[in-house]
Amino acid sequence: MLILSIDTSCDETAAAVTDGRRVLSNVIYSQALLHSQWGGVVPSIAKRAHEEKIDFVVGKALKKYKMSDINAIAVTQGPGLAVALEVGIKKAKELAIKYHKQLIAVNHMEGHIYSNFIQNSKGNPKREFRFPYLALLISGGHTELVLFEGHLKYKVIGETLDDASGEALDKAGKILGLGYPAGTVIERLAAEVNNVDMYKFPRPMLRSANLNFSFSGLKTSFYYYLKNLSEKEIAEKIRFLASSFQEAVFDTLVYKTEKAMKTTGVKNLIVGGGVIANLYLRKKLRKMIKIYSGSILFPPYKYLAGDNAAMIGVVGYFKIVNNLAWSEADIIDRMPKLSLMNKVE
Amino acid sequence: MKILKINAKNVFMEVTKTLKKGGLVIFPSDTVYGALVDATNNDAVKKLIAFKNRPPGKAISVFVRDFRMLEEYVCLNHKQKSVLQQILPGCFTIILKSKHKTSKLLEAENGSLGIRIPNYQPVNNLLNLFGKPVTATSANLAGQSPCYSIKSLLNSLSKTKEKLIDLVVDAGELPRNKPSTIIDLGKDKVEIIRQGDIGFNREEIYVSNSPEQTKQLAKKIYKNIKYPQDKPLVFIIKGELGVGKTVFVKGLGELFGIKNIISPSYVIYYEYKLKDKIFDEFVHLDLYNIDSNEELDYLNLQSYLAGKNLLIFEWGEKAGRIFDLIKSKAHVVFVQINYKNLTKRRLVVNTNYTQEISSDNDSGQACLPAGRPE
Repeated sequence: MLILSIDTSCDETAAAVTDGRRVLSNVIYSQALLHSQWGGVVPSIAKRAHEEKIDFVVGKALKKYKMSDINAIAVTQGPGLAVALEVGIKKAKELAIKYHKQLIAVNHMEGHIYSNFIQNSKGNPKREFRFPYLALLISGGHTELVLFEGHLKYKVIGETLDDASGEALDKAGKILGLGYPAGTVIERLAAEVNNVDMYKFPRPMLRSANLNFSFSGLKTSFYYYLKNLSEKEIAEKIRFLASSFQEAVFDTLVYKTEKAMKTTGVKNLIVGGGVIANLYLRKKLRKMIKIYSGSILFPPYKYLAGDNAAMIGVVGYFKIVNNLAWSEADIIDRMPKLSLMNKVE
Repeated sequence: MKILKINAKNVFMEVTKTLKKGGLVIFPSDTVYGALVDATNNDAVKKLIAFKNRPPGKAISVFVRDFRMLEEYVCLNHKQKSVLQQILPGCFTIILKSKHKTSKLLEAENGSLGIRIPNYQPVNNLLNLFGKPVTATSANLAGQSPCYSIKSLLNSLSKTKEKLIDLVVDAGELPRNKPSTIIDLGKDKVEIIRQGDIGFNREEIYVSNSPEQTKQLAKKIYKNIKYPQDKPLVFIIKGELGVGKTVFVKGLGELFGIKNIISPSYVIYYEYKLKDKIFDEFVHLDLYNIDSNEELDYLNLQSYLAGKNLLIFEWGEKAGRIFDLIKSKAHVVFVQINYKNLTKRRLVVNTNYTQEISSDNDSGQACLPAGRPE
C-alpha cells in the first residue's frame, strides 16, 4: 500500500512515499543543508517559506511514482507551527481532492514514536513490535513520556510544564553566545571536556512525585549564574558551562524515564525526536536501561531522529489497517497544540 | 590533472600557484578531502559549483588562517570574538555576516558566510602562503558521501568531472573525523520596541516573590485594565531569559480556564480557542527565535488582530516593525519583568487605557508587508 506523506510541522518541508513500514522515497528540505559536510545555513523557523518549497519537495518524493500508484495521503495535523502546518495540509487536501485519494490526519508525535519501527526500502531493520513500550519523546518543541500500549494506543504519562528539553539546550547555547540552534554545538563542546559536571546546576523536578518535566528553573539558575561572570570568564569556561548544563538536562530526562519505568513496570523503551541525535544521551539511557535489564530502541536511521514525512506515512499505514483513517478531505484542519491524548475524530 | 603527495617538495607553492590562476585543488583537511578554490575569485567559484553539481543558492564555507583574516571578510563583534577565540581553531563552521569581499556565490540568501579556522597544519600552511580565504567544501559531488581517500574520490568521478580538477594533493587515508558543527551567528537584528515608543501615561510597579505570586499578579493586572471592548487586547511582556514571562502568561491563562500553557518559543505561537468568553482566542506568542524583520511577515498576525482576541507576546519588544500595526489595531499593555534576585522579581506595568487610539487610517488594509523591499 503506497502512501504519500507530507510533514510541515516546523522548519522542515518534508514529503515521502512509503509502503507499509518501508520508506521508498524521502525528501527533507532543510535537513539536506544540515547534513552537508561543510557550510550550509541552518534556516530559522518562521523564515521557512514552506510554500516556496512544498511543490518541489512533493514532486521530488513522487519522482518515481504516479499519483495513480498512490493509495492514500497522510499529513501532519499538529502539533507544530500553525502557519507551517497549514501549508502541508492545504497541499495534501488539494492532492486528495484532485486524485480522489483517502486523506489521513496524523499526529506528529505519533510519527516520532513510530520512527523507531521504520524500515529502509529493503525492509531493514526487521524490528518486531513488542508492546507495551515506554516512549520518551524529546525535541525542540516537546518533551513527553508516553505509554505506547498497542498500535495507535497512547497514554501521555508525563510532559514538560514549560520549556522542552531541546529548547532548554538551545536557549543555554544562545546565552553562551553559540547561536541557535545550539544542541549539536553544546554536545561537541561538552565532549571536549569529557562531559564533566563542574557546576552542578539544579536538576528540576527530581523531587516532584509525578512524571512531568520542567526546565525553566534550570534556565533561570543558569542565566543567573552567568550574570555574575564576566564575558571573559564565560568564554574561558564555555566548555564546562555547556557540559554542566547538558548534564543537568540529561540527568533529568534519565531520572524521569527511570521513574516512569518503575511506575509502569514497562521496561521496553523507545526514544524519538531531535535531541536523541545526541550520542552522549544515548549512552546515558543505555546505561540506565541495562540496570533494569530492559531494552531500548532509537530511530534506526539518522534522518528519523529529526522531523521527516516518512514517519507520518508509516503511521498513516497503521491507521488504515486499523480502520482509524479519515476520509473527508475538508474536515481536516491544523491543530497546533494537538496532543496524543486528543481523540482524532 | 596533476597529483602530488602532501610531503612532496614545493607542494604548497604548487597549490598556491594553481589557486592564483583560478584553479580547482583537491586538498586534505581536518575532516575530509576538500575542493579548494580562491574564495575571492568569482570564476573559480563558478567552476567549483559546476564541479560539485551544487544546487544554486546553497552556501559554501571558506577556510581562513586566523582571526585577523576572519575579521577582514566577516563582521564579528567583541562578544562573539571572545567566545570564538575559545573554541577556534577547531571543527566548527561559524556563520557570520559577510563583508562581501569573497564571491557572492558563496553566501547564503541573507548575506551570511560560513567560516572555518581549521586546526590542521597543511591547510594552515597553505593559507599562510596564499594569504586569502579558500573554499572549504567537501570534494565529493552534492548528495554523495564524503571522501576520506583520493582513490575513493577518483573512483566516484566521471571523466568530465575529473577534467575540472587542476591539482590533487594526496595525504593518504584521512582519519574518519566527524563533520564540522555549525554555529550560526549571522542573524539579522530586529528592531526593538522601547518603552518610549508606547506612549504610556500610567505606570504601576509590583514585586513578586515566587512564580505563584507572579501568576496572581498577572490576574490582578488583567482585572485592572480598562480598554475598549471592541478591540483585541495585546500584552507585550519584556524580560530576560528565565525571568518568568511564561509564568505570567500561565497566570493569565488560568483566568480563562487554560491550564496547559507551555513555552511557545519553538513554534512561535500557540492559540487556545475560548468558548463563551470575552475573547474568541487566547494567542500566546513568543518572538524569542525571530531573528529578522522578514520573519515577522510570515506570522500572519493580521488575522488575529482583526478579531476579538487576547494576544500575549513574550519577547514582544522584538515586534519592532509590526508594532505600529499592533498599536493601530489593538489596545496594548506593556509588562516589564526584571530580576531582583534569584526568586524575587519587579514588574513594571503600563496600561494605556486613557489613550485615544486613532482609527482614521484604519482601512482594514494589512500593513504587515509594507516595509518589505519591492
